[in-house]
Amino acid sequence: MLRFLLRRLTELVLTLLAASFLVYGSVFLAPGKPETFLLGGRGANPEALAAIRAQYHLDEPFAVQYAKWLGSALTGDFGQSVQYRSDVLGLVGARLPGTLVLIAMAATLVIVVGLVLGWVGAVRGGALDSAVLVGTSVAVATPSFVAAIVLLAVFSVQLGWFPTLGSGAGPLDMLYHLTLPSIALALPFVGVLARVTRAAMLEQLGREHVAVARSRGIPERTVIRRHVLRNALGTVVTQGGLTLSGLVICTILVESAFGLGGLGEFLARSVTVKDYPVVQAVSLLVVGLFVLVNLVIDLVHPWLDPRVALGTRSAA
Amino acid sequence: MAKIPRRAAAAGALLLALALVLTACGTPAGSRGAADYRLSAGTPRPKGEISGFSWALYAEPPVLDYLYAFDYPQNTVLANVCESLMRWTPGLTTEPGLARKASNPDPKTWVYDLRAGVKFHGGGELTADDAVYSLRRHLDPKLGSYWNEDFANVASIDKTGPLQVTVRLKRPDALFPQAMANSAGTVASSRSIKAQGRKFGTADGGLDCTGPFELGRWNRGQSLRLDRFDGYWGRRAKAGHVTFTFLPDSSARTNALLTGEVDGTFGVPPESLARLRSSDSGTLSFGEGLTTVNLNVASLKGTLKDVRVRRALLLALDREGFARAAMRGSATPTSAPAPRAAWRGIPRGITDRAYRQLPTVKRDLETARKLIRQAGAEGKKLTVATSPIGPDVSLLALAVQDAGTRIGLNVELKTIAPDAFTALFSDAKAREGLDLFPYTYYLSITDPLGIYTNFRTGQFENYAHFSDPEYDRVEARASATYDPVKRGRITAQLQKLALDKAICLPVAEYPNAVFQSRRITGAPTTVSYLYYPWAADVGARG
Repeated sequence: MLRFLLRRLTELVLTLLAASFLVYGSVFLAPGKPETFLLGGRGANPEALAAIRAQYHLDEPFAVQYAKWLGSALTGDFGQSVQYRSDVLGLVGARLPGTLVLIAMAATLVIVVGLVLGWVGAVRGGALDSAVLVGTSVAVATPSFVAAIVLLAVFSVQLGWFPTLGSGAGPLDMLYHLTLPSIALALPFVGVLARVTRAAMLEQLGREHVAVARSRGIPERTVIRRHVLRNALGTVVTQGGLTLSGLVICTILVESAFGLGGLGEFLARSVTVKDYPVVQAVSLLVVGLFVLVNLVIDLVHPWLDPRVALGTRSAA
Repeated sequence: MAKIPRRAAAAGALLLALALVLTACGTPAGSRGAADYRLSAGTPRPKGEISGFSWALYAEPPVLDYLYAFDYPQNTVLANVCESLMRWTPGLTTEPGLARKASNPDPKTWVYDLRAGVKFHGGGELTADDAVYSLRRHLDPKLGSYWNEDFANVASIDKTGPLQVTVRLKRPDALFPQAMANSAGTVASSRSIKAQGRKFGTADGGLDCTGPFELGRWNRGQSLRLDRFDGYWGRRAKAGHVTFTFLPDSSARTNALLTGEVDGTFGVPPESLARLRSSDSGTLSFGEGLTTVNLNVASLKGTLKDVRVRRALLLALDREGFARAAMRGSATPTSAPAPRAAWRGIPRGITDRAYRQLPTVKRDLETARKLIRQAGAEGKKLTVATSPIGPDVSLLALAVQDAGTRIGLNVELKTIAPDAFTALFSDAKAREGLDLFPYTYYLSITDPLGIYTNFRTGQFENYAHFSDPEYDRVEARASATYDPVKRGRITAQLQKLALDKAICLPVAEYPNAVFQSRRITGAPTTVSYLYYPWAADVGARG
């Protein structure tokens, strides 16, 4: 267990390192220059240009710039945002809570609603199953930003039940403000998870051990819980992990539609103006989150299904 | 003086939509074009005070240091917090600001006598030292002020009395005193600037200025609050506070206005005009803007070398169609790169004469084809930049392609990523291989010369490296003339020269649009909100 964790943590560090290099490189290679932004797109005399380049180390070769960034990052200094002229950590920190709560709410919705729908569809069958199939097809095909537009038009503008913007102040207000955004964000993923759950459970239902269990007279509920669900969960959890990663990406669109001012929106804007330090920090945060989620899944897996060895992830 | 490539627009996909939006242009009501809007001088005066109101911005101001205040969001906020030596008014004229008097003992000297007893938000009192220190920051290349061009002719800035600042110029410069009414002339407490260093004007630091509002809570990524400053030297603000909300998505902004969650905004997106106009949640008004959209000539080396080709393109371009499509009718096709409202300070007769000299906006394909034949340009290639940055850019590029094709040119569109589009305005490399690019531009002073100086030999924004000794001579004469009437006459000559040479292809003027909820009124309708403490005029409607 300890060796496994150690190995995974080393992998995490290496992944972050590789990601930081790739992100830094790609921002560096993309067209346009940050000094253009720093000078406001206006006429600059060569003296001002040189001063700005020196100040932000833009006049040094890529390797040197990257090494300098890495050195400071290791000491916890992620540099200064080019556009905001303040510390990146502070800027990211201010936007992080809203985005995390949004993702957490959406993830909860995805897991609860997705599992329940998949379960009901697989176990009940018939008309209910057809309804689940149609409903999830619509959900899967509805991108979050479309859902956002519809939800806003109906529940905020028409009915006036929910606010149209902001992530609220205080925990309860935040939940209220983030209700529509998290539904919009969760919707397509709910569809995916419900379908995966349904398929995995149906597969298990058709297995021999289920038939054997039933023939022995074990109550149906126990069969479903112990033989069907447990075996299906491997696939579902893996899919859930992927979903969580997808949620992170989709926050960008949802955050802008609801005016939440979160990390996704911040990242998008920073990319357009080539704000290297911010892009680096936010990207690493996202990559780190991905890797951590995967780590958690790998740890949970063997606990759900003892037949799976630590770190293998094959669903039985 | 400031003109600007619309960085806002260039700022990216999220912002784009709004970008176009924010602009404006104004032709006096009743003039050409079938626009479905009417310009008003202002909105009704408030009946009383209000505890506070909220206002939407299409982006968070990255910093509020006046050195870098050169875009809509930061200026909309900063205009209420920090003040300049002179002040731009809602009527787009200039009046005394922190300086009670500006005098001009000789053409190369400007003396500013400051008001006595003006308090900073932090409690200090305004002195000449503050003004000298604030202005000199623009001269420091390490700070990289966005307004450095306005100081290009400045030789020295000195204190000549406890409340007197004297600026000496290398040569007479008619635009300099006008720039003292925008962010170039801002005065902040020198003590606070020194104390805060790099944090000055950021969310971590703050601002110590003299305006009717002071900086309150800055909730990063979401909102920023201004609170009324009780020690203000001028007229007390009618609202106790203003909360600016950052809403990059244009439909998010529109929704917030429709539901009354936000009380108002400047620069309503064109796609939202219809919904807001028919809504009973508030009132939509239009005023003069100083924004034009043009086609900038990127190179005079290729197909556009021959002036007949440039003229032919202008004749073939469907400017009326563009104005209708791009701004849903809220724009006016034009034949001049400088907006008509920029001539405000110049007698009407001179302006009218200048405009009568302009080529017609009407499309004339026959003459255009003839010009192309005469120039021997049939079948020649023309590369035009386009970008998914916003409908005005892509529509305009398509309009050029249509015009070129009709007159026998081979027009190729080159798509440029939104983030690379801004680079066109400042990086010669980015413009390589291009003949034309769409260009939205606004003036920060009320003077058409602000645009025409751009085509002087060697100017930074003279992208095509146009050079004409006669043009330079007339431009130098205009720049050295302080008398607005005389300067107006010379500028009219300059405008004619620019149009004869078709150095830039003018397309349309945009008006400024402002929306206010049922609760509030009093905001100006003109683009003056960028440098005028407009929020102090906003109060209760009923």
